[in-house]
Amino acid sequence: MNNSFLPNRREFLGRSLGLGALTALSTLTDFPLVMRQALAQSGLGQNGRKLIFIFLRGGNDSLNSVLPIEDDAYAASRPVIGIAKDPALDYSATGPADFPVSGGTKATFDYTYGIRTGNGFAALHPGLKFLAPVYNAGELALIHRVGYPHQSRSHFDSQNFWETGNPNNNLSRDGIFYRTILESGLANTSPLTGVSFQSSLPMILRGSKAAMTNLSDTGRYNLFGIPNTTAGNNKADATLRAAMGIPFPDKRDRDFLRLQYENLSNTLAIFASLNFSEAGNTYTDSENTDGDSEAYNLFPTAAPKNGGYTLHNNDASRFVVPAGSYDFFNRLKAAAIVLNKTDAVIAGTSLDGFDTHSNQGAATGSHANLMKTIGWAMYGLRRYFTKYGDKASWQNVTVVTLSEFGRTSIQNSDGGTDHAEAGVMFAAGGAIKGHGRSNSGHGVFGMSPADKFNGVAIPWTTGTTKAGSMFAQGGRYLKRAVDYRSVLGELIRDHLGATQAQLNRIIPGYVDPAENLRAGGICGIDTARIFGEVDLV
Amino acid sequence: MSATAPPHLPSLRVFHLCLLAWLASPAPAAHAYTFATPPPPELSVSTTNAGQIRVDWTLYPAVDTYRLWQSQSPGGPYSQVPWVTGGSGTVINSLAPSAFYRLEASPLDANSLLASTLLRRIAYGPTPDELERVRRIGPGAYLSEQLAPEAISEDLPHNRLSPTDGWIHVTATGTGSGSTLYLYLAEAGEGYIDDIQLVAGTVPEVGRNLVLNGDFELPLTATDWIVASNHLDSAVVTDVRHAGNGSLHVVATAGGTTRASAIVQDLTPALTSTATYTLSYWWLPSKTYPAPFSARLSGSGITSSPGTIRDLLEAGTGNINDLRAFHLLNAIHSRKQLLEVLLQFLDNHFVTQYSKTADHLDGQYPDNGEQYVAAQLEYRELQRWREALLNPKCTFLDLLKVSAESPAMIIYLDTVGSKGNGSNIANENYARELLELFTFGVDNGYDQRDIEEMSRIWTGWTIRFVAPGQESNPFATKSTVLKPGAPAGTTAVTDLFGTWSSVYNPAVHSTAAKNLFFTHDATGSQTEPKTYPGRFGPGYAGKPYSLTVPGRAGTNGLSEAYLVLAHLANQPFTQEFISVKLCRLLVHEEFRHGTYDYSAPDPSPEAALVKSCMDAWDSTEPKGQIRTVLRTILESDIFRGHGASGHKVKTPLEFVVSAVRALLSTGPTGMPTAVADGYFLRTPIRRAGNMDLFNRAEPDGFPEAGSPWISAGTLAERLRFVQAYLMPTSYPVKSGDAGATAADPVALVQVRLQAAQQRDTGAVADLVLDLLFAGEGRGNLEGYRQLAVNFLNTADDGITSSPFAGLTTTGSPSAYEIRLRGLVAMLLTTPRFQEQ
Repeated sequence: MNNSFLPNRREFLGRSLGLGALTALSTLTDFPLVMRQALAQSGLGQNGRKLIFIFLRGGNDSLNSVLPIEDDAYAASRPVIGIAKDPALDYSATGPADFPVSGGTKATFDYTYGIRTGNGFAALHPGLKFLAPVYNAGELALIHRVGYPHQSRSHFDSQNFWETGNPNNNLSRDGIFYRTILESGLANTSPLTGVSFQSSLPMILRGSKAAMTNLSDTGRYNLFGIPNTTAGNNKADATLRAAMGIPFPDKRDRDFLRLQYENLSNTLAIFASLNFSEAGNTYTDSENTDGDSEAYNLFPTAAPKNGGYTLHNNDASRFVVPAGSYDFFNRLKAAAIVLNKTDAVIAGTSLDGFDTHSNQGAATGSHANLMKTIGWAMYGLRRYFTKYGDKASWQNVTVVTLSEFGRTSIQNSDGGTDHAEAGVMFAAGGAIKGHGRSNSGHGVFGMSPADKFNGVAIPWTTGTTKAGSMFAQGGRYLKRAVDYRSVLGELIRDHLGATQAQLNRIIPGYVDPAENLRAGGICGIDTARIFGEVDLV
Repeated sequence: MSATAPPHLPSLRVFHLCLLAWLASPAPAAHAYTFATPPPPELSVSTTNAGQIRVDWTLYPAVDTYRLWQSQSPGGPYSQVPWVTGGSGTVINSLAPSAFYRLEASPLDANSLLASTLLRRIAYGPTPDELERVRRIGPGAYLSEQLAPEAISEDLPHNRLSPTDGWIHVTATGTGSGSTLYLYLAEAGEGYIDDIQLVAGTVPEVGRNLVLNGDFELPLTATDWIVASNHLDSAVVTDVRHAGNGSLHVVATAGGTTRASAIVQDLTPALTSTATYTLSYWWLPSKTYPAPFSARLSGSGITSSPGTIRDLLEAGTGNINDLRAFHLLNAIHSRKQLLEVLLQFLDNHFVTQYSKTADHLDGQYPDNGEQYVAAQLEYRELQRWREALLNPKCTFLDLLKVSAESPAMIIYLDTVGSKGNGSNIANENYARELLELFTFGVDNGYDQRDIEEMSRIWTGWTIRFVAPGQESNPFATKSTVLKPGAPAGTTAVTDLFGTWSSVYNPAVHSTAAKNLFFTHDATGSQTEPKTYPGRFGPGYAGKPYSLTVPGRAGTNGLSEAYLVLAHLANQPFTQEFISVKLCRLLVHEEFRHGTYDYSAPDPSPEAALVKSCMDAWDSTEPKGQIRTVLRTILESDIFRGHGASGHKVKTPLEFVVSAVRALLSTGPTGMPTAVADGYFLRTPIRRAGNMDLFNRAEPDGFPEAGSPWISAGTLAERLRFVQAYLMPTSYPVKSGDAGATAADPVALVQVRLQAAQQRDTGAVADLVLDLLFAGEGRGNLEGYRQLAVNFLNTADDGITSSPFAGLTTTGSPSAYEIRLRGLVAMLLTTPRFQEQ
């Protein structure tokens, strides 16, 4: 913790109480009452707003997600993997995004051209077709050219930087949403606050002062005892709870372990009451989807729940998402249920497979499959929280994606792309100001020749030289115009309800005037021009 | 050392704390607080609501006993306070209202602590026998033994036994040397055999079957099979079978070889001694009581045994689950524990991904044959590191070369298709990770330009299916050696003999010069060689470490990569990063690379240890000998004192393997007290955080730190596994969570405790606590001990008295056995067993 100010709780408490920091090893569970009251007055975490994050691991190829189709350098740089223009369309026209309806009553992704966003310049990968309805409702922001100063092209560093909210700081050991929860004051009063559904707890929710919850398999969340009877299980459980409270000499991971054991105890009953089962996955669209004769399942977790599959004699070409994404949708469904049925504030999961160094494909192929997955995930979440909203309605939910970097503007010799710099973020939610609601009138931020926010104009420029936006960074990469912390910061403050003072602790970069994360201008760290916050909510 | 009275307790005069008999004098360190030298316990005194005096103290690591003394005067005499509420740092009554107190903390003896720490770091946790042995021979002897694995001889059960994941088809062709067929187990044990066929010729199962009742559809009779006395428990069973309705359950009480000790059939008509016959059968080994099986013709014209897991892997017919079982069973059983720990470390440091290899080869094999190739490439990598580590002078460069040359790596990080000729842009993936993850460590002495230059070095490194004998020829062309019956001119790998090997293809190599580790100006033009930063000390500071590799055409281009590997392997950046990773493996996770200033006068213990490792690295010829570095770490103060023991959380692999080992001894009947289901154990390891062995997707390898592995969901998986592991096999939920992995704590108690102690709750609790938490010290385990005693003496409601001593031992499982199993499982679920 050597940089400006991280809300390490021990320091935080020390300062708040007027004591020297690090006076003793704190017991870490019991926020003093005075602190708890102070924190509870904040709206953060208690304004009913919730957030879902999806980390796109591996570095999403942003230029093949939201593509600069009116920049001729795009097609020239990507002869194999590029997405072509629909010859019948004028991509400089403005208006709502296209939603190419499939022929007949067949909801597929037969459309292989770039889908017009209607901002007159950018297009969507055809796999993102189902983003169009969300976009046209004004509830989707596509934020391009997102990065941070001195971008790392290492997966591990860069994922850590995104997740800790502290770029270029390898000593930062806790996550940005972990700190959000800690600032909310809920961490030690509510058993369930930040939850992820993936193989292990991600850095973004990790920290040593409070336990966030990760579940890798929602169906295996009950414990055993010997004898394996109700009484025997209870005895094992009660004995273990007693064991958790027994003091031991202080060692490096012992506080952390104790918190995680307590978290396990506290959440067992909550999860037992939720229906994560496959049989319980009956959530369907609120209307017949894409012109087909029935409403589709919102969370495709098996072939019969994937698009019009069973409607059409188990025809796999009717899938709306690739069969390989069922596990992802199972986890996404669990995240949605937890936000909807419990007091949890932040839930999330990850989607892997974006490290497309070779044979990534174009309108079809491995990257296209990932695009379909993202498109349907956003579409499905919107429908779920609109139709089934309980503790969380779509109006109160924001979904945001993160990815550690974009990929090289020019394809490599393997039909793939390598690690690069700025990328794209998707943010969707009932309160998001997208198409028709944003200052620009469009839902695309950062991919237009007219890009200007907070008075800072960083227009997209075309061309194959370094003067072109696609090569503005070192002649090879997309250069950032938006800092990811400005996007997450705006969501944490204006959506989840943090005060600016809280946000300054959650994202320490906000304190540094040189960073210009809010107002934009010249970033003092690397002299890049950035927009600052782009007014998303 | 003294503490003054808290201001809110004015009635007490003075409190005095004196610590006697310290393990090591806690020398005041300039860096305020480290775990290597924890501060002494703090005493505090308060008054309870009931008006009693209460003394609390913080616990100190590895304390054997705490004693509290009181006196009316600081000079004494002190009298010991009778022990009342146990050793977890609180005493309430028998205290004078106003007194001086002294706490005496007797440490665990240094050898016991070090023995425990070693067994948790250079081994996958103690077994009862190893704990006893290392305490006896001393930690120094154990360390020396483990640093020289080539001198340890062992005969591992799984290297004699066949894989246990299902029926194995066995065939053998030979001559009709005799007309008696013998079936036997070479040791006491059991297994199942079905569908024996003996036919004339070389093709199995084609032609008349010369064996009577070889499908075991009928009970054995004297007209078909004659059973010798040691195999008398053998019988046809119907609940286990390969085909039809029955199989032969082969049970031996002692090993056999021939007519007097086998299951025998005299074949009629007699075989022709000059003719060729083929024997075939299906064999299912027991998971709990396996023994080597043989089928043999008299005269030994045909002898056959199901292959071992290693046989399968050597032959390339093992799959990834065979490899995982092999790796896990080695981790559990091998006496070369440090070697196994290092092999896992290397496989994880130089990570490759089984499924990416399989995907790469997809389409070249029918019936998922690529999966066997992919598994074999992982196995070959592992065996090459094993071979390298058996050399006393093994260097980091040796290990790095194994990885660089591994076809699995060439596929994993995309070198396989990378081209640098003409206008092609080389794939950067391997170059980046070679610097970031395998040698220098991230942000440590290189930049993007170095990665781009480096990526061109590796262009041309690819894989190819080469002819037998060409495996070590980097320029070998594709095999053209046809298998019998293959159509002439075919190029399908399934029609050819050969091996997937790494080769060099000069045609796609970038032949321009590569300038590594130079600085560049704003226009991208090369300026100066990069120089070592000052933090490496005066020996390095300011000196250049650039490397210019002239572009080489033709086969000479191959040498560029070896120049680079040799250049990287002993750079201080590499020394630092690899030393840090070894320290994280063996000491604790809070070591960093890229930040320590080794020229500073007062380094932290961590920085000082890394510096010692780097000095050790430089001290040998050739440089970078792994054993020297390991010894430096394992003999450091921070490792031997309180800086390591209990300061790490187990990975899922370490957790599962250590749970099996903790109870693995030999029971009173000669049977093991714990059985590992080598094929199942990958499942609990994967469930507890997706530790899918040999199949890590991300090139940073599985985390060494504990925090990424521990959350509510993964803890639930760990706890379920150990409970299921201790369940009797009759419980229906057991197999889904532990497979056939099982323990027999009753047998363990029987061999470790006198008969009278086997029902003594204190003796039983002490035994189990020692096996599981030896380095903690009895003084710190008092809380767990009370919990254990209470568990043993209460009914399932945890309240009603149900004395352990009175439980019946009859019944299967008996009430005594269930209570004991419950206790051991409960202790395995506690937070302390998550640590190493």
